[in-house]
Formats: sequence, C-alpha cells, structure tokens
Amino acid sequence: MHQVTAPSPFQTVTDAILLAAAVALLMGAVALVFGLPGQRTATLFGVNLCAVLAFQVFSGNSGIVSFGHTAFMAIGAYLSAWLTMPASMLRVTLPNLPSWLGGHELPVLVALAAVFVLGLGAALFSGVPVARLNGASASIATLGILIIVYSVLSAARDLTGGNRAFYGVPRATGFGLAAAFACGFVLLARLYRDSRWGLMLRAARDNEPAARACGIDPVRLRLGAWVLSGGMGAVAGALYGHMLGAFTPRDFQFDLAFGLVAMMIVGGMGTVTGAAGGVALIMALQEGLQRLETGFTLGPLQVPQVFGLPILGTSLVILLVLLLRPQGLFGDRELTLPARLRTRQAVGTEGMSRPAGGTRSLRLDAVTKAFAGLTALRNVSADIPPGRVTGLIGPNGAGKSTLVNAITGQLPLSSGQVTFGTERLDRLAPQDVARTGIARTFQNIRLFERLSTEENVTVAALAQGVPLSRARDRAAQELDHVGLAGMAERRAGSLPYGARRRLEIARALATDPAFLLLDEPAAGMNPEETADLARRLRSLPAARGAGLLLIDHDLPFVMSLCGRVIVLNRGEVIADGTPEAVQRDPGVIEAYLGTRASRGPTARQEATPPPPTEEMTHAPT
Amino acid sequence: MRRPDSGTLLLLSAALLAAPAAVAQEEYVIGVAAAQSGGLAPFDQPSFAGFQFCVDEMNAQGGIAGQHPIRLEVRDTRSDMAETVKFAQEFVDLGVNFVVGPADGDPTMAMGQITGPAGIPTMTFAGTAPILTQVSDYVFGSYPADNQQAAVLASYARELGYGSAWLLKSPDAAYTLIGPEYFGQAFQTLGGTVLGEGSYTMNQPEFSAIVTTIQALDPQPDVIVTWAWEPDFPAFIRALRDAGVTTPVMGADVLDTPTVRGLGDVVEGVVHTSGGYAEEGSAHADFNARYLAATGLAADTNYHVNGCDIVGMIDAAVRAAGSTDPSAVRDALADLPETQGIMSSYTFAGTDRMPLRSVVLARIEGGQKVFIRRGLADPAIIPAP
Repeated sequence: MHQVTAPSPFQTVTDAILLAAAVALLMGAVALVFGLPGQRTATLFGVNLCAVLAFQVFSGNSGIVSFGHTAFMAIGAYLSAWLTMPASMLRVTLPNLPSWLGGHELPVLVALAAVFVLGLGAALFSGVPVARLNGASASIATLGILIIVYSVLSAARDLTGGNRAFYGVPRATGFGLAAAFACGFVLLARLYRDSRWGLMLRAARDNEPAARACGIDPVRLRLGAWVLSGGMGAVAGALYGHMLGAFTPRDFQFDLAFGLVAMMIVGGMGTVTGAAGGVALIMALQEGLQRLETGFTLGPLQVPQVFGLPILGTSLVILLVLLLRPQGLFGDRELTLPARLRTRQAVGTEGMSRPAGGTRSLRLDAVTKAFAGLTALRNVSADIPPGRVTGLIGPNGAGKSTLVNAITGQLPLSSGQVTFGTERLDRLAPQDVARTGIARTFQNIRLFERLSTEENVTVAALAQGVPLSRARDRAAQELDHVGLAGMAERRAGSLPYGARRRLEIARALATDPAFLLLDEPAAGMNPEETADLARRLRSLPAARGAGLLLIDHDLPFVMSLCGRVIVLNRGEVIADGTPEAVQRDPGVIEAYLGTRASRGPTARQEATPPPPTEEMTHAPT
Repeated sequence: MRRPDSGTLLLLSAALLAAPAAVAQEEYVIGVAAAQSGGLAPFDQPSFAGFQFCVDEMNAQGGIAGQHPIRLEVRDTRSDMAETVKFAQEFVDLGVNFVVGPADGDPTMAMGQITGPAGIPTMTFAGTAPILTQVSDYVFGSYPADNQQAAVLASYARELGYGSAWLLKSPDAAYTLIGPEYFGQAFQTLGGTVLGEGSYTMNQPEFSAIVTTIQALDPQPDVIVTWAWEPDFPAFIRALRDAGVTTPVMGADVLDTPTVRGLGDVVEGVVHTSGGYAEEGSAHADFNARYLAATGLAADTNYHVNGCDIVGMIDAAVRAAGSTDPSAVRDALADLPETQGIMSSYTFAGTDRMPLRSVVLARIEGGQKVFIRRGLADPAIIPAP
C-alpha cells in the first residue's frame, strides 16, 4: 500500500527562518565589506525592506497593488516622533502640540509598539471601503487614502508643522535596529503568507468566484491583510522617520510610494522573497550607478559625468525585468530548503470515509431567473435526494449552469426558492452557501492557478474551519483519491487538462460536502479519463454520504452514474426520471434532435435509447 | 660605486626643502549633495553648475584663500530625503571641511541634524525657508530668505498705495504656504489690510473657482499676492485675466523665469522679487559673460550666480578664520560683516545665519524683466521665522 504524505507543519517556519537569515547575512556582508558606507546602505535596505513588506503583505496576497501604505508610514513617523522627542525640542519645533500627545521621551521600542497598535487601528478604520473593492478600483481607493492622510497631515500644522520640515526627531534607526526589524518583518510576512488567512486570501486573489464557492469570504480576508499591513507600514514609517531625523508629509507622498511599489513589483510581489530581492536589486543598481555618475576611467576611455544615471539605469532595468518576467524576478517562488532536505509526513487514511450530510435533500421551488428580456430558468422545481447521483442534462442554452449558479448563490434568483434541508439558500452569499455543505465545480475550470496543487485543496478545507495541519492531511488524502498525489507540489496552472478537472473535484471534496454539484466534470476528457472519473465518482455517495448533482453532455457518462436524470430545456424541466425513461421521452428526443427527428425514424426506436450524437456528447452549454 | 657630485647634492637638497611646501598645500574638501534629477533638479542643477564653475576658477588661483585647492565630493541626492541623509553621514565619515546641500529647506535641515553635531558648517544652495538655520548652529542660508523677500515686496506695495491685499496660498509646500503669510504680516505691520485668502492644490489645472471668489470680493483688493510658480501661476493668471479681473498681481522670485515672462499680456505689469539682476557692467553681468564663454551655456537663472557666491562666502570665511578648521570657519562665517558678492552683497553678522541680502524688485513689461530697484528689507518689518 502506498504512503500518502503531506508537507511538514514546520516547513513554513523553516523557510521563513531561512529567508530571514539570508536577509541578515546580506545586510551583514554589505556592512562588513563596504565599511561605514556599507553599513548605512544596509540600514537603508532594512528600512526599505520593512516598508516594502508592509506593501507586500496586502498587495502580494490580495493581488491589489496598493499605493496607500505610505499614509500609514507617515502616521507612524509622526506618532513615534511625538512620543520619543524631548519636550524641550518639541516646544521649539511644534509649540502648539498638545502636551498629552508629545514630549514623553519614550524609548524607541516602546514608541514602536504604540505605533504598531495605532497603525492597526488606522488601517481598520480605512480598510472597510478598500476591502470591498477589487482590482484597479481598490488601487485607486488606496491612492485616495494616501491623498486624504497627506491633506490632513499638511493641514494639521499644530501637530505636524504642515509642510514645513519637522526636525529634531531622534535619529534612532541604526544598523542594528534596521536589521532586527527587517528580519522580524520577513518572518511575519512569510508566516502570514502561508498561514490559513494568507493562503485563503491568495486563493481569492487567483479566482474569487471559486474561492467563494469553497466558503472563503474575500472581503474579510482583505480587511485582515490590510489591517496587519497597516500596522507594519506604521512601524516602517517610524523607522524611516527616525532615520531621516527631519521630514514633512511630502516625504511620504507619491514619490516614496511609487519607489517602494516598483521595488516590490520588480522582485515579484507575490512572494516575500520577491519583495526582498526587488529591494536588493534596485538598491544595488542605484548604489552602483551612483558611483559611476560622476565619471570614471575604463582603460584608455574616460567616461564623463552623467548625472541621473541611477534613475535612468534603474528605470531601464525595471522595464526589462517586467518585459521578460511580468511576474517579477522571483515569480511565485519563495526561498525554500532544497527538495531533498524538505520533509513530508505520513498521513493516515482515516477520514476518507466520512458519511456527512446524508439526510438533507436539495429542494428547488419554482426557481426563476431572468436576465433583462431573457428568462433563463422558468419555475424549475425538483427535489434532489441525498446519498445518490442525480443527473442534470439538457441541450445548449438549456439553463443548466445557470441553475447551478442559482443554487450556489452566484446568481440571485428572480423568484422562487432553494432549500437545503430546512435552510433557505437563495438569500445567502456564495461563501455562506458553501458553508452549509454544498460544494461545486465549474463548467470552465476555475483553479487557484498560482497556488500549488496541494494548496488548492488545502485551502478548501481551511475555508470550512479545519485547522491547517489537518487541512493539509485532508488535501493529501483527496489528491491521492483523485490520483494527483504525484503532482502535489506542482503549480496548478501547469497541470494538464484532465488533471485540472480532477483537481477541481478534489478541491470540492475537501470541503467535506453534504452535496456536490459537478458542472461538466468530464468535458474535454478522453474516454479513458472519463471512465476513470466515472469509477471514482460512483463510489462517492456510499463513501461520503454525499448527494451528487451531475451536469454533463456526455450521456453515456451520465447514464452510467445516475439513478435519476432531470432534463432541462429552455429553462424548464421537460423530463425527470430514470435514465431509461428519460431517453425514451419524446420531449427529450425532440429537444436534442429537433421536431422532425422525433417524428421520423428515430421516434420509432423509442424502445431503444438513442445513441449519443455529436450534439449530445460534445456541444458546450 | 660613484659618489654623487656637488651639483647633484644641491638638487637633492633643494628637492627635500621644497617637499614640505608641497605638503602644506592642504586640500579643502567640500561635500556637495545636490539633486541632479527629481523635483529639486531645476534649482540644484544650475546652483551646482555655477558653484563648480567658480570652484574651477578659484582653484586656478590656488584654491580657497589662495592656498587650499578645493576638492569636491559630489553626490546626487535624486531629490530623495533618505539619500540626502545618507550622504550627510558619508560626508561626516569622510571628514569634509564644508558641506553644501540642496536648494530646499527640508533636506538641508535633515543634513544639518547630522553635519551640525559633527561640527561641519553646512550651507543650502538656495533654500529660502528662514527656519532652516534653527536646526543647528552650523547651518547657513545663502539666498535672500522668504521673509526678507516678503518684507521688501510689502514695502513696495504700500509705497504704490495699495491698502488691501488678497493672498493665494497652497498648503502643499512651505514656500507656497508661508511666503504669502510673511507678506501679509509685513503688509499689516505697515498698515495694510489682508482681505482674505484662497487655497489651491499644486498642479491643479483649473482656477475658475478661486477667480470667482476673487470676483465676489467686496470691496475688491488693491493687490493679489501669491508665491505660486509654474504651472500653477500661469494657469491662475490666465484664468484671472480671462475673467476680466485687472487687479495687480505680485509674486516671489519663482516668477523670474522666461516661461512666465513669455505668457504675454496676462502677465503685463506683474511685480515680483528676485535674488539678483545683471545690470550692465555689474559683477553679475561679468559672471554671466565668463560663464557663457567657458561653458557655451547661458547662466539664465540667479541660481547659477548664487552658486558662485557660495564659493565666495566659504572663501571669505576661511580667510577671516585664518584656518580651515570647520569650527573656526563656522564662527567666522556667522560673524561675516557685509561682504560684496557677485549677485549682491551679503551679511551674516547679527543674523541667525540666514544672510541679509538685497532683494531685487522687477516688473514684467512687454515680455521683459524690467528692473525696479534693489534694496534690503527693513529689519523692523521682517516677519519672525
């Protein structure tokens, strides 16, 4: 018997420590090799890395490019300055600052703790609108937050000095502090990325409808990442402020934001390694080119001074990197231990036979869905029992996928209701439908393309509240069940077609569903793959106690699995019965083959099920 | 082995005697952190060009005080505060004698917090915020400060009989915000009235709302004053004149550009301050001619000549100190009495290290800069920083 294995729970921690050690080593080497100037460059690297990681925790995991995190940096810089500056200096620089707010002369570390808490609060306050948005709208919203915070800080002259330089801030950020926080931020960002929240957020980043169908609430996860990254941004800003010693709100404006975002994107914003690599690459380029811009001698060649060389050269490299590697230098690859050093642990097979749900049936009452002038579903009623495989067939445009979307909450109903057991589903969001125990696959495969195969499945179990280590075990079991154990560490986007279909089923099964809706699971599969899938699905109701609603064009496939078939045509149920009865139904034959066919020779062969035609087997819905 | 003859011994002795004299040619190292790119480059580039030109001229004459060849450690800040701070630390490590920083108050103050405690005198290329010297006793200005320019402009406004003013400010920069406020304070000290003020966002393309506000004022102000620059000033003045508002407009030295003068009728009569004016036969005109001859480029801003004046200021301080010791040079510079520069004379003695320099008043007529007068601000009406 072969052994099913899952990643070791300590792997993420080991990888996080490895990356933090690499950062520490790089900073130490630069300081050691280049002396004092190297130490300063390493300090700036550490501060930049903290800031970029604050961006990365949100942007990398949610896929939304934020420009707003420098707003939290500004808030952190001012708060830390107020808390740490001597009262005598504050009286000179900010004479109207309320005494309760400043002049406490707190140790920097204590101030940074306060800054982190305030950053969390500010991010929570500002995050509600951002979390509800996605894509470019969300990015623009982050810009809006930056502009609002900048305007408030500029106008609050008693608190900030407005756009006059605020000086006298203790220059507490040295090499040691920067290195410690850079390593700490690497650990935090890396552990968050592979935490249940980070994993689920990355799934929603890759495919939000699929994530919702697994039970993931992207809005709450985006808010969580925004809040954490806001706290990190505030601390990074405080470190930056304590490095500068004097600043204005302008120093946290677009120039800084664009510079940090460029570092993150060049390295690859999807990974912590990418963020760190981007900072290192851009800074190394700038430092190197800076040494050359005042002119240099190359053998007999005297190269004159070319000011602006660092910006010119860096911009060119950014363009080149994005042209050749749009996902950034590191893409989706994190720095990890070599495969031979990584450990996987054995997973038991218990839990594979989980009679779940079992007694609840899925009931449709006069379900109607209209799109403007087109009624896609009209008074569809059916009672789909648990513990059996029920087929749903119909010709092109019959409304099969619309019905699945209506059941799972992807489409709101125009009228009618959907009940699962005693629970109304038609008023629930897709993720809430999923949590009642209904899982689905999609007609057009929707995987989390940038996650690994096992992460795709793990995340579905996580969404049902399963602890991370158990979710990994369950993923390993489900992958083994669908024959994908050997591809567990491959990126889902690189899987062949049949494997992608099976992965989607494994993901749905990992939610431990009471009811599973499979939308054309055999589409595009060859006969061998279809037969294999049929074998695996046939055992499901008995093994899991789950009900199955199977939608497919491949009639032999459907007929071989189902004890009962519902036929939809033009949004209405035209037949409901055993496969044999349905195949003899004149209405079904007419729907598939047309009126003439039903009255012609085929009609005379009613006793014999019609052989599957091209239309019946392959036409997409 | 052949013994050296007496002639050879004589030459060797002369060489040995001459060696200490060569060693005594101690370099004077100036760290220059200026933006060659980014937002400050339009000010830092010409400042540095003029500075470099006069360093070369001075080195041809033996260097600072005629005896210390100047060596420049030049760094491009890219208008970035973090880079500026890094270079300040680097200059401290290098043990430079003097530091010259960007033409803006904020980065100069950030530098001064590092170079000041290290005892290195530090001067801004053309930062005009009068508070910039408060950060350290070692920090110096070089250009006429905003409050001096505002006081000179307010005096002239009162002389013209203007009794009321309306101020246009932008909170996006200390310069655009506080400059008009300094004017208002000096104007009120002289008996004028500030009727109100408006606020704009830098780079805002449209000023009709502000112009409507001005049109609705009753009574109308005698003069509108702003420290706005391009592209805001051109957008504002066009909107103002297109709306038929003929109220005189006054501004600061940022209006001293060919672009503003080229705006045509809408800027006819606009009065602005300036750091200098190259009258025929003046040292300023001579500098411009020398610069053109040497580089083939026109020194078409006052930042060029001010950069050159900074070299003169350092030279005067070293000569007065009789030493290149940074602390001695700092003390000498802070006590420097009125000294003739190229753009104008300057005085550090009795100031808080922002030099008292004459301010030029000019009017735009027919697309030309017409000299009105040159004068010092009355200390009695200069607003406090």
